[in-house]
Amino acid sequence: MIESPAPKARSMRSDGPSRRWHIRPMGLRSRILLTFGLGSLALSLFLALATFNFTRSNLVDERTGSAIDQTYANASRLAVDLQSNPTNIQTVLERLGADRPLVYFRGTWTGNDARFSSSVIPPSLLNAVLQNRQPTTMRIEVDNELVLAVGVPIDSVDAAYFEFPSVDDVRSTLNSVNLALILAAGITTLLGIVLGAIAASRAVRPLTAASQAAQAIAGGRLDTRLAETEDPDLAVLTSSFNDMASALQLRVERDTRFTSDVSHELRSPLMTLAASVEVMQARRDEMPERAQVALDLLVADVARFQGLVEDLLEISRFDAGGIRLNVDELLVGEFVRQAVAISSAPDTRILVAEIAEEMMIKGDRRRLARVVANLIDNGRAYGGGELEVSVFVPDDEDPPSQIWITVEDHGPGVPQDERDLIFERFARGSIAGRRSGSEGAGLGLALVDEHIKLHRGRVWVEDRLDGQDGACFIIELPAERV
Amino acid sequence: MVGTRILAVEDDERIRAAVKLALEDEGWTVDEAASGEEAAILFLRQPADVVLIDIMLPGIDGFELCRTIRRSSDVPIVMVTARADTHDVVAGLEAGADDYLTKPFAPKELSARIRALLRRARPAHPAHPKLIFGDLEIIPDEGKVLRSGTELHLTKTEFRLLCELAQNPGRVFSREHLLDHVWGYGYFGDGRLVDVHIRRLRTKVESDSANPRHVVTVRGLGYRLQA
Repeated sequence: MIESPAPKARSMRSDGPSRRWHIRPMGLRSRILLTFGLGSLALSLFLALATFNFTRSNLVDERTGSAIDQTYANASRLAVDLQSNPTNIQTVLERLGADRPLVYFRGTWTGNDARFSSSVIPPSLLNAVLQNRQPTTMRIEVDNELVLAVGVPIDSVDAAYFEFPSVDDVRSTLNSVNLALILAAGITTLLGIVLGAIAASRAVRPLTAASQAAQAIAGGRLDTRLAETEDPDLAVLTSSFNDMASALQLRVERDTRFTSDVSHELRSPLMTLAASVEVMQARRDEMPERAQVALDLLVADVARFQGLVEDLLEISRFDAGGIRLNVDELLVGEFVRQAVAISSAPDTRILVAEIAEEMMIKGDRRRLARVVANLIDNGRAYGGGELEVSVFVPDDEDPPSQIWITVEDHGPGVPQDERDLIFERFARGSIAGRRSGSEGAGLGLALVDEHIKLHRGRVWVEDRLDGQDGACFIIELPAERV
Repeated sequence: MVGTRILAVEDDERIRAAVKLALEDEGWTVDEAASGEEAAILFLRQPADVVLIDIMLPGIDGFELCRTIRRSSDVPIVMVTARADTHDVVAGLEAGADDYLTKPFAPKELSARIRALLRRARPAHPAHPKLIFGDLEIIPDEGKVLRSGTELHLTKTEFRLLCELAQNPGRVFSREHLLDHVWGYGYFGDGRLVDVHIRRLRTKVESDSANPRHVVTVRGLGYRLQA
């Protein structure tokens, strides 16, 4: 009811120029899920990055500190040695016993590891140590090994001393930390999504209940209500939904009662009319010719009026849900013969398949007879030619579980797009012109549909089964072999 | 059936007048009553052969009028109800009505029902003058039924129903058969007529109507009379 305008609005929008950019709106459940997922991903990434940086700076600072201390100590020992033995630097370096040393003294570079020559030292470090005479540290990578480049100027002999302690073990530690953090972030995100799914389904649960209730109401159970809730956020929805349902129920009941009251009120004058017309009809021969014509019109329309009021009463009973079926077990072949015999065309040809004589249906014989009579009336009014009624088991089903009762005519048939429409109340009005004739109140087929549904069957119309021109109305009812 | 008197009880003046006209066309004499009270007084003064009662009456309603008439008479009663599928039908039959019609009905239908009731009110001639089923004794010619020697008061329809069952002791009679033979209905008669009348019959012919010995239900088939 409330939803009905929505598809229209959507289709209008998608027809517009912005159609290419139109993204289907996301459902509440997906939005909650996405929020939780993205939220937990962002949070875990932030935590992981913070942890990683903190760990790294701690580890690196510690290593840098000790490396600098070591280099300083080595540099001051080197200063002393270079003063006493300035020519044989190689020997001095060997005596120093330092790890990967490199000395700049009097314009030449001396080291004991070929990999760590002056070329690996970044220019900025070189500049800071040699020009600005500032002790400086820098992390560099040499042959895939992470090392600290520590440079200390030795002012007393105008030299500079460099050391390259490895910090590769720090890198592998950091790598493991990194891996652990990525794993943790992934798990946290997954947990966030799971949590989001739970939250989403909890959040959507009241909506599911509401939509089920709305469906029940649309299906005719007007007394459906949502259960009262303690939740203040939901209480508003619950109470307004229930108010709406009550208002709807009141409205529908009032309409139903109105139809029922009107038809009941119509019955009394109709009784008088029917009885009076019958008295007049008994004296038809004594009347002048013009009065006879008028009487015939009166008789025909009193009968039509009577049929209409009976149909209205029956339909208002359906609406009020007050139909009580008088169910009997009926042999379908015998039943159809009897029903046709009391219809408006008792001489209609009837074909009953042999098996149909042994098929039993459970139903209200007088209501089902009305169904057959209505289909025959309909065929006479809108069809044409001889009517045929057939009773058989569809598709030679074995064992048979249903029976078809068909009423066929030789008229123009029913166009495809009107085949559902003609079972609606007073449908004749909307498709007038194509279905000729003034007979029939427009309720007959609607009643057929309601009655057959009540008997857990189906009724529909298609082209004649033998391929000739004409309509074929088919009633399908559950049945069993005796 | 000339000389047949019909009492029509209906509060709507114009319906009453029109129904009276239609029934008079059948050659019957029609007395009118606009309320239950009026009908009860009129019936005492001038008994009718058939009574037609609209259930919806101001004052004492159709059910009550039915019961009042039944206390003193076995006259056939046709009641007129608003709906065929409500409790009204069963309640009316239990109050003592023999048959019912649903508004709006064609007067032809009404006269057909009345004729069937009148035919039934005059018992057919059976093969045996006296039929005995245990403590039950049926004398069709005299329209009498005795239980342990005491005469029972059956309505004409109840009596016809009992005679029909007694015609062929032990045989099972379907509801359709009974509707046809007792009420003159075809295939589309209302089975509740049979069920309620059987119930009413049992309260009279059985010593314990909750555990019937004579009028026995045969599930899914119908009813049977036994000793």
